Amino acid sequence: MISIAGKKTIRKINWRVYILLIPGLLFVSIFTFYPIAKMLIMSFFNWKIGYQQVSDFVGLDNYKNVLTDPIARKAMVNTLVYAVVTVPLQIVFGLLIAVLINGTKRFSVTFRLGYYLPVITSWVVVALLFKYIFSNQGLLNFFLSDILHIVDGPVGWLSTRWSALFIAMLLGIWKGIGWNMIIFLAALQAVPKEYYEASSIDGLNRRQQFFYITLPSIRGTILFALVMLCIGAFNTYTPIAVLTGGNPAHETEVVLTWMYFQTFNATGKMGYSAALSMIIAATIILITIAIFISLAREEN
Amino acid sequence: MKSWERKQKYKINFSETSRYSLLFLGLFITVIPMLYMIISSLKDNKSTFSYPPKLFPGLDEITFQNFTYILNNENFNNYLMNTLFVAFVTVLIAAVISSLLAYTFARFIFPGKRILYGMIISVMLIPGLAMIIPQFEMAVKFNLVNNLWGVILFYSAWVTPFTTFLLRGYIEDNIPRELDEAIYMDGGSIFTVYRYVMVPMASPAIAAVSILNFLFPFEELGWSQTILKSDEIRTLPVAITMFFQAHNRTDWGYVFAMASLSMVPVIIFYLVLQKYFISGLSSGSIKG
Repeated sequence: MISIAGKKTIRKINWRVYILLIPGLLFVSIFTFYPIAKMLIMSFFNWKIGYQQVSDFVGLDNYKNVLTDPIARKAMVNTLVYAVVTVPLQIVFGLLIAVLINGTKRFSVTFRLGYYLPVITSWVVVALLFKYIFSNQGLLNFFLSDILHIVDGPVGWLSTRWSALFIAMLLGIWKGIGWNMIIFLAALQAVPKEYYEASSIDGLNRRQQFFYITLPSIRGTILFALVMLCIGAFNTYTPIAVLTGGNPAHETEVVLTWMYFQTFNATGKMGYSAALSMIIAATIILITIAIFISLAREEN
Repeated sequence: MKSWERKQKYKINFSETSRYSLLFLGLFITVIPMLYMIISSLKDNKSTFSYPPKLFPGLDEITFQNFTYILNNENFNNYLMNTLFVAFVTVLIAAVISSLLAYTFARFIFPGKRILYGMIISVMLIPGLAMIIPQFEMAVKFNLVNNLWGVILFYSAWVTPFTTFLLRGYIEDNIPRELDEAIYMDGGSIFTVYRYVMVPMASPAIAAVSILNFLFPFEELGWSQTILKSDEIRTLPVAITMFFQAHNRTDWGYVFAMASLSMVPVIIFYLVLQKYFISGLSSGSIKG
């Protein structure tokens, strides 16, 4: 044991490795590490942009301001609700479709393209499309009032908090299912067929096969999807910006739209925005760690 | 045919039928909004605004005037060329840088490796838009405002962590070390291994992740609308949003014609590379 470990550490380091490493590291450092570090510093200052402006150190004041700001809180609640609703539903529907497609012989290319179409369509385009469908004179109101006669007049779907968020979540789920489908399809195709053959000889039915073979085999992919979708949920900007712009009265803001608004529409709030960004980043990192810890515990 | 055989056969057929009907139902729900958009772009503007909305225009009502208007009047070609330029350069930079990083992390042991990799992966967790203030300061300092390179450089940096993560997993899982050893035996260096083993062998994964990276400039709005201020250098997401705001609630036919046209390059790119998509994504990094 010791000799193997020793061998590993004394293996001669090829200096050429650094030539491979340096362009990437330099690039990532300049364009991501540096802004993140700068952001962390800014979040402790009453940051002022401009020549010869002095920024005052304010300690944790910016964080306090964010956490006590009712709109920031609302934006955080909206973002969390968005994540809690859209992430599991995308996984469930994506997996369901992947399982169904995995067994098909015909039309599989049609399905893969069709279900993937929303994923390769720009967020701007699909958000505008949903804005049109759910607008006052849109398709949904037409069906509800003129065809089904459920409601009297047009419903302002995008003008109240929860119905607008509901539309945004519907959009997020609809657009995200295809990505999950592709990821799970890739995972399903890697599950050895012998497992299914052996288990059907043992008398397992399809449902049992799904729970005892498929799900355990693609655990890692589910974990991967979970983490990526949580990141994506906190990264939501475009659909809200296009659908509601955070309106009415900041009721439908998510953290990024609120941060953007504070940065460019409110003056002298750089420190506030920086603190909000750090809180967003910390939340995502904590969620990711929590997912990994709960998985590790489950394995033990 | 014995009765139990018939029963079994019937059962299989039934489950196949229900499988296909479920899939087609789902497919219908998935594509109907897109079809609706394309149909709306083929109606003249008066009828897209009419209430009650007409789902399907009569055959005589179909018109391409929205498309001709967009193609002739709205600098569409310009926006398209800008977006394509940003997309191709972003894909290229991300592919080169990430494949180098992925190769290094997959194959070599060097001091600080775990920490460095951890740092790069953590960047993946932080939304690019969350770093907007320092990035904007940098863009001002480096003269990147109103400059396509301002979006290219930051986009490439934002997509590099995920691209690296995916390629590293693919290299570790799918490219045997014996190939590296064979190159070394012939006197090749690590650069030879990179050029003649990594790049060709990892190409399915590079293609798969490039589809995602190519799409990015076609849909990113927050950063691009921040720094692409003048009309002639806008990318499509900014241009469509601006166009929509300018023609608010009146010219949906134009908006949808523009939106439909903007999808075409991404769909073509996806169709060209889609055969690599599944195989390129089935790497250990995803399976865990």
